[in-house]
Amino acid sequence: MKIRFWGVRGSIPAPGPDTIRYGGNTACVSIHTKAGGLVIIDMGTGLMHLGNALMAGPFGKGQGRATILLSHTHWDHIQGLGFFSPVFIAGNQFTVWGPGGSPGVLEGILEGQMDPNFSPLQSLKNFSAKFDVRAAPCGDTFEAEGLTVTAREHAHGATTALAFRIVEDGRVFVYSSDVGQPFPDTPPTEDTVAFFQGADVLLHDTTYRPTEQATRRNRGFSSYEDAAHVAVAAKVGRLVMFHYDQDYSDDDVDEMTASCRAVLDANGGKAVGLVPAREGDELEI
Amino acid sequence: MKVRFWGVRGSIPVPGRSTSRYGGNTSCVEVRPKGGSPIIIDAGTGLRRLGKSLMEEAFGDGKGKTAILISHTHWDHVQGLPFFSPLYRAGNQVHIFARQRDMHLEAVFSQQHDSPYFPVPLSAMHADMQFHELIEGAQFDIGNARITCTRLNHPWVAIAYRIDVDGASVTYCADTAPFADILFGREFIVQAPSLDEPLPPDVAAELARMRAGVVALAKNTDLLIYDTQFTRDEYRLRPHWGHSHPDDAIAIARDANVKRLCLFHHAPMRSDDDNDKILAKYRAVITAQNDRFELVSAYEGLEITLGDE
Repeated sequence: MKIRFWGVRGSIPAPGPDTIRYGGNTACVSIHTKAGGLVIIDMGTGLMHLGNALMAGPFGKGQGRATILLSHTHWDHIQGLGFFSPVFIAGNQFTVWGPGGSPGVLEGILEGQMDPNFSPLQSLKNFSAKFDVRAAPCGDTFEAEGLTVTAREHAHGATTALAFRIVEDGRVFVYSSDVGQPFPDTPPTEDTVAFFQGADVLLHDTTYRPTEQATRRNRGFSSYEDAAHVAVAAKVGRLVMFHYDQDYSDDDVDEMTASCRAVLDANGGKAVGLVPAREGDELEI
Repeated sequence: MKVRFWGVRGSIPVPGRSTSRYGGNTSCVEVRPKGGSPIIIDAGTGLRRLGKSLMEEAFGDGKGKTAILISHTHWDHVQGLPFFSPLYRAGNQVHIFARQRDMHLEAVFSQQHDSPYFPVPLSAMHADMQFHELIEGAQFDIGNARITCTRLNHPWVAIAYRIDVDGASVTYCADTAPFADILFGREFIVQAPSLDEPLPPDVAAELARMRAGVVALAKNTDLLIYDTQFTRDEYRLRPHWGHSHPDDAIAIARDANVKRLCLFHHAPMRSDDDNDKILAKYRAVITAQNDRFELVSAYEGLEITLGDE
């Protein structure tokens, strides 16, 4: 599978001259499968740019289909939906797997974003593409465009976010953004480590530096130090840093990457590759 | 007074290299009367950086006071509010003004903070927040500033504001379509109607009345900030989106005898180079037509001083 980053920023898009290199769009990652399928994870503002790129292919002719995996429904993970061009072309089909426990609850949350007070689209019903909204079962596997997916609920402050373990021919990609224990010094549980175990690529929340996270534990994000520790414990191949705080500049992310490398090296993780997610970059697994 | 632009983009924030000069944040303008508290127009993502800047002043000590005038509650005009640092400091006073909706304004803004969408509820903000609902033609004072407003032509209704203070005025008209082809209300318009058919007389009369209201609001204003999301050709493809173009803004500026016209609410995919070209083209147009007003294009960080400093 080929992974591409369309949005790597946390909480709110952060335009500006100091975010040009890593990018200021909110969370959106695409996976192109070997068989030619498309899986999209999260619908931050990066989704608009993915959509514009897709319009050159079958999606521009109403012949596209994709599965969308949604970690949770905070704004920065859904705010690109109304700007995703393929939804306005009849014939395109999307299956959306997300939280909420039931398809009706999830659809209601997405519908709330399109409320006429907030969006000129007024309702999901005004989309021309077909949307099949489903509640992601936690623990059980389901199939997405030929890939095998397992979802797991992780603590995200006072609420939760879904992490996804995605397998293609024995190769494993884990997406785990917006995770973080609200309490200090809480090691990842055995179950969490097991969920990440042996992933070829683990994309993990690295919203904060450890010093900044210390005062913001309740927000439910991880530091690069948390991510490095869990990557070593789970013996992953490569760790992808993701969901940088909106206030961090490109130079800050450079510095966090170097510091994360040092934490990995000092804790038995010399073999773990480290990749800071950057808009437009691709990873082959 | 000083007018400073913190967000100049329409629809959705667009970070990136091609927008870094004009800026990718959505609508937010700060109006700072001489010696007075800031008056903020719209709460797009530009509000986040304005909030951080305000925390360097009295707002950092919980002694700040501001009014936020909301043109309408579409996302790109309110999505910065949850990230406005002064709200998280007790003692600050934040007055939010917007047109009356079906629901109470506080309920509308609460929705943005509800748990499936945002981790911190509106009720948990530490600042003293007060919501003020405006009706058609409302006039009121904020400190020494006189605020007047009028209706714009936009889906689900937006309003324009004029602020008079320090012997000068600024008028903000976003979002609006031209008053020529479609009368926007509550219905969802699926596709672009023909622009060549004559309008029913009652629709034409209502649009003319609305346009006269905008011209009257902007009469002799020192600075008119106007929704020019589209070029004229783009407008003809998407007249049902509720946005205008520079030719229309120039006609309004001319009729209202404004001193300066500011192009604003740039389309998300408009690059900095595109914006430069549009500005150069229309500067040539107004020169050729002997218009007496100055033409500028809004960019993040642009600061304009009007009247007494």
